[in-house]
Amino acid sequence: MASAAKRLEVLSGAATPQIAFDGVTLVLGGKTIIENLSLGVQPGEFLCIVGASGCGKTTALRLAAGLYQPTSGKVNFDGQPMREPRREIAIVFQDYGKALLPWRTAAGNVSLALEAGGMTSAERPARIEELLRTVGLPDHASKYPSEMSGGMQQRLQIARCLAQEPKTLLMDEPFGALDAMTRQGLQDEVLSLVAASGATVIFVTHDLDEAIYLGDRVIGLLPHPGRIGIELPVNLPRPRDQLSTREHPEFLRLRRQLFDFIKATEQ
Amino acid sequence: MNRAALLWRVASFAVAAGFVALWQLIANLKLVSPVFLPGPDRAWASLVRGFSSGDLWSKLAGTLEHMAYGWLAASIAGIAIGAIIGSSRRMRTYVAPSLEFLRPLPVSAIIPVAIAMLGLTQAMALFVIAFGAIWPIMLATIHGFAAVEPRLYEVARSLQMSRLAVIFKIALPSASPDILAGMRLSLTVALILSVVCEILAGLDGLGHWVLLSARAFRSADLFAGVILLGVTGYVTSVAMSLAEHRLLAWQAAQR
Ligand SMILES: Nc1ncnc2c1ncn2[C@@H]1O[C@H](COP(=O)(O)OP(=O)(O)OP(=O)(O)O)[C@@H](O)[C@H]1O
Ligand SMILES: [Mg+2]
Repeated sequence: MASAAKRLEVLSGAATPQIAFDGVTLVLGGKTIIENLSLGVQPGEFLCIVGASGCGKTTALRLAAGLYQPTSGKVNFDGQPMREPRREIAIVFQDYGKALLPWRTAAGNVSLALEAGGMTSAERPARIEELLRTVGLPDHASKYPSEMSGGMQQRLQIARCLAQEPKTLLMDEPFGALDAMTRQGLQDEVLSLVAASGATVIFVTHDLDEAIYLGDRVIGLLPHPGRIGIELPVNLPRPRDQLSTREHPEFLRLRRQLFDFIKATEQ
Repeated sequence: MNRAALLWRVASFAVAAGFVALWQLIANLKLVSPVFLPGPDRAWASLVRGFSSGDLWSKLAGTLEHMAYGWLAASIAGIAIGAIIGSSRRMRTYVAPSLEFLRPLPVSAIIPVAIAMLGLTQAMALFVIAFGAIWPIMLATIHGFAAVEPRLYEVARSLQMSRLAVIFKIALPSASPDILAGMRLSLTVALILSVVCEILAGLDGLGHWVLLSARAFRSADLFAGVILLGVTGYVTSVAMSLAEHRLLAWQAAQR
């Protein structure tokens, strides 16, 4: 119920944005990567960003994470300027293989976030078990990442991010390297995890269907320099369903619209 | 153990046994004067005698002590300095050229300097051993720290980990395979330099024992000392490998 109320707020635009880009321009190595980007993400909103390769999706996400500082303009989090990354904002990287500690087991990798949050060693085991169960890895606590499949490693990274108890979850093509079946399973898991935690999500993807399936709103970026080219609210009922949602006339309409947009940017 | 590994082990034992037999044969036929070359029987007898009288124990302990202190000092300093240099690109570009100048300097060139400054003392031995043994460790640490996956630093930043936590939870474990390999290399260096320092400074140890035995033409004692040095090198290196194996169990999972 709480999340439904939140969603209403989102749609009416009443709440102050959790993440706000205000005329953000970023220049890296003499090249303007993002230009004059203004964007508000409401608390509890699921925002998807799509766009051609190299249009600045990852860069926009890194700005939201505080890993980059804008050359001009402002990025605010809960009304405060973002000067550096913070624990309330968790990032799921696409290259899960590089984002996990190979010398720590699954439990140890989740523990890293709990340790950083100052949880005592007595409290950690129970919390680790709970988190691993949440992402469907209850029996793999003592495995090293290298002993796990790609899908399992990505679940583990998500578990570590959940351990941060983030207000905002940033996901950069998190399922890009996974096969279609694993991908769909994880999409639904992320939706239910997010619904349960009420976190705000910015989700970057190449996959237009994925963006519409997951999002409350989809933004398409134009390249060179990166800026907003299209913005589509997604009025599809929740909970979403892999079969019926994807057959919904609204889904097909949005898909068509996004597809035409992407095709136009690639010319 | 699989069959091929077993076969290799049997073969290597056979070679060693053949080598000892050949040595015995040469000694028995007196191809080399017994004054210079004792047979394995006489060398073994000298070993047993040395240990039962306690002489060799104290010499062995002396050498192990020199080696251990020098190696530990080199490890601590090497890892600390290597970590500082390796974790900053600016440090690497500024300091690397000086390292390249210092590194190829043979340690033997440092010994006269050390003797001039510190005299024929334990402190001199410690300095020389540590100086020689620090290079493999320091260079390996620099490399290990420079090669830490940048993504992990971003994870650390988003977790707002403290500097200390980043070093101990991310950089050091990530560099540990390099560091341990460097420590194993410098173990051998430390043993060699222990012997050299004992010979030069007359410090209590196997090096000194070997020197005195040679001067007195006690070839059996000389060989006993040399054999013991070989065994020391072998055992410490095996112990180090075992430690590496345990500490880096996660790497075995990776392959
Ligand atoms: N550190 C940097 N210095 C200079 N240019 C950069 C830097 N990082 C990214 N770029 C450039 O910025 C542009 C956008 O990069 P970005 O990684 O954000 O694209 P993307 O939309 O995530 O692409 P992809 O879909 O391939 O992941 C690219 O042209 C890239 O070459
Ligand atoms: Mg990208």
